[in-house]
Amino acid sequence: MLSYSFMQNALFVSVLISILCPCIGIFLVLRRYSMIGDTLSHASLAGITIGLLYNQSPVLGAFLFTSLCGGLIEFLRGYFRKNADLILSIVLALSVGTAITVISSGKLRANADSFLFGSILTVTRSDMILISILSAVSVLTLILLYHQLVYIAYDEEAARIAGVKVRIINYIFSVLVASAIAASIRITGVLVLSSMIALPVATALQLERGFRPTLIFSVVFSFIDILTGLFVSYYLNVAPGGFTALVSVAVLAAVMIGKKVYSGFRAAMV
Amino acid sequence: MIQAENLAFSYTGSPPFVLDGIRFAVEDGDYVSILGDNGCGKSTLVKLILRFLRPTRGSIEVKTKRIGYVPQRSDAAASGFPITVHEMLDSYRRLLKLRDKSVIEESLNRVGLSGCSGALMGTLSGGQSQKALIARALMGDPELLILDEPSAGVDQDSQREIYGLIKALNAVRGITVVSVEHNLEAAVANSTLIYHLSGGSGHMCTPRQYVSEYLKPKGDEDHA
Repeated sequence: MLSYSFMQNALFVSVLISILCPCIGIFLVLRRYSMIGDTLSHASLAGITIGLLYNQSPVLGAFLFTSLCGGLIEFLRGYFRKNADLILSIVLALSVGTAITVISSGKLRANADSFLFGSILTVTRSDMILISILSAVSVLTLILLYHQLVYIAYDEEAARIAGVKVRIINYIFSVLVASAIAASIRITGVLVLSSMIALPVATALQLERGFRPTLIFSVVFSFIDILTGLFVSYYLNVAPGGFTALVSVAVLAAVMIGKKVYSGFRAAMV
Repeated sequence: MIQAENLAFSYTGSPPFVLDGIRFAVEDGDYVSILGDNGCGKSTLVKLILRFLRPTRGSIEVKTKRIGYVPQRSDAAASGFPITVHEMLDSYRRLLKLRDKSVIEESLNRVGLSGCSGALMGTLSGGQSQKALIARALMGDPELLILDEPSAGVDQDSQREIYGLIKALNAVRGITVVSVEHNLEAAVANSTLIYHLSGGSGHMCTPRQYVSEYLKPKGDEDHA
């Protein structure tokens, strides 16, 4: 299986996104912004279609348009303080509206379907280079801003008092989310991408550890989910995105059941 | 240390004002409790002092290098945010750019939580959680400590410990304290001054004056 170059490409990108998605996802989940991840992953479809329309890299198109939408969400937060849920509806309307208009115009020379469900076959060499750059820059930025991001998620007021430029870091974080989404869409597809961001973190949270162990376990679960999804989808000849989402739900369920059984066993022993 | 002049604030930028005509001064070494009914603007006043909000009119000046802030027991702690006491303090130390890691242990020792460093914040009792937040606020040796209802959700024994600690920080270490209070007994017993907020405006008085002016006429002298 790994003798095929398309499978090597897919494996390489899968390893990168198994690291990147939970590193971004942990901050989205803990800030209760999981729906922002979902909205932005849908928004990326507009960037993909615009990229395809102008014969440019759809991954780059997704990154740029999703960054723009992430920035727009931050900007609108100031205007819709009391109706924050409206912000996601506005961004979703803008982006999905753009995507549907471009697709239905009949001007696309390529098929955007593979981006909806994910595909093992479509990762090109230029995608790999772009995804590697996005992942490396994102992980480096996350390392540099780690403590600021932890505090903005945990206690934003305390972060402000300590001198953290919360608004600027929120904008930077929007770009990081866009980066994770752009890196992932080839394999996972737009529709289930948010599960890659949220579910490994949800699974790690079941272990009730500190922040750093939770982050490490999120990456481990993400690695298991994505690689299992990739290999099994190859043998079943199904889209990797959907199957990876199913694996991540199954792993979450297994950990929850295991935790319940373990605590029951411990209670019985006492 | 804090000087408010004709301060007014409205969340919409126009009347009605949550606070209006606020004028007070907090000197170095004071322990001021802010009292008032629910919704009278106590937390808004604290947010103005912390510069989270900007005055609609007038001014508020805070002359200090470092402020320690103890919020009401944070929602994040209660929601099971996966962070240990040590991680919470260590990240904060890095935000304050304090190189010496020993400040974490020192802060925990000061509040009597040295054995809880590895515990998750969400698993601490109300009193322990509040002490951990005080330990965080003490990092970097602040000159001003601002607390928002420090005894909320805390049992009686822990309340005594927490107020003893705050009072010692004020009396022994000379840290200026501003505390939003719903606990009248603690405010009267510990503060050097009380700022009473009512109807959007306020009045600074001593605890003794507060008891005679605001509590006795209402028949609430039992609290004091």
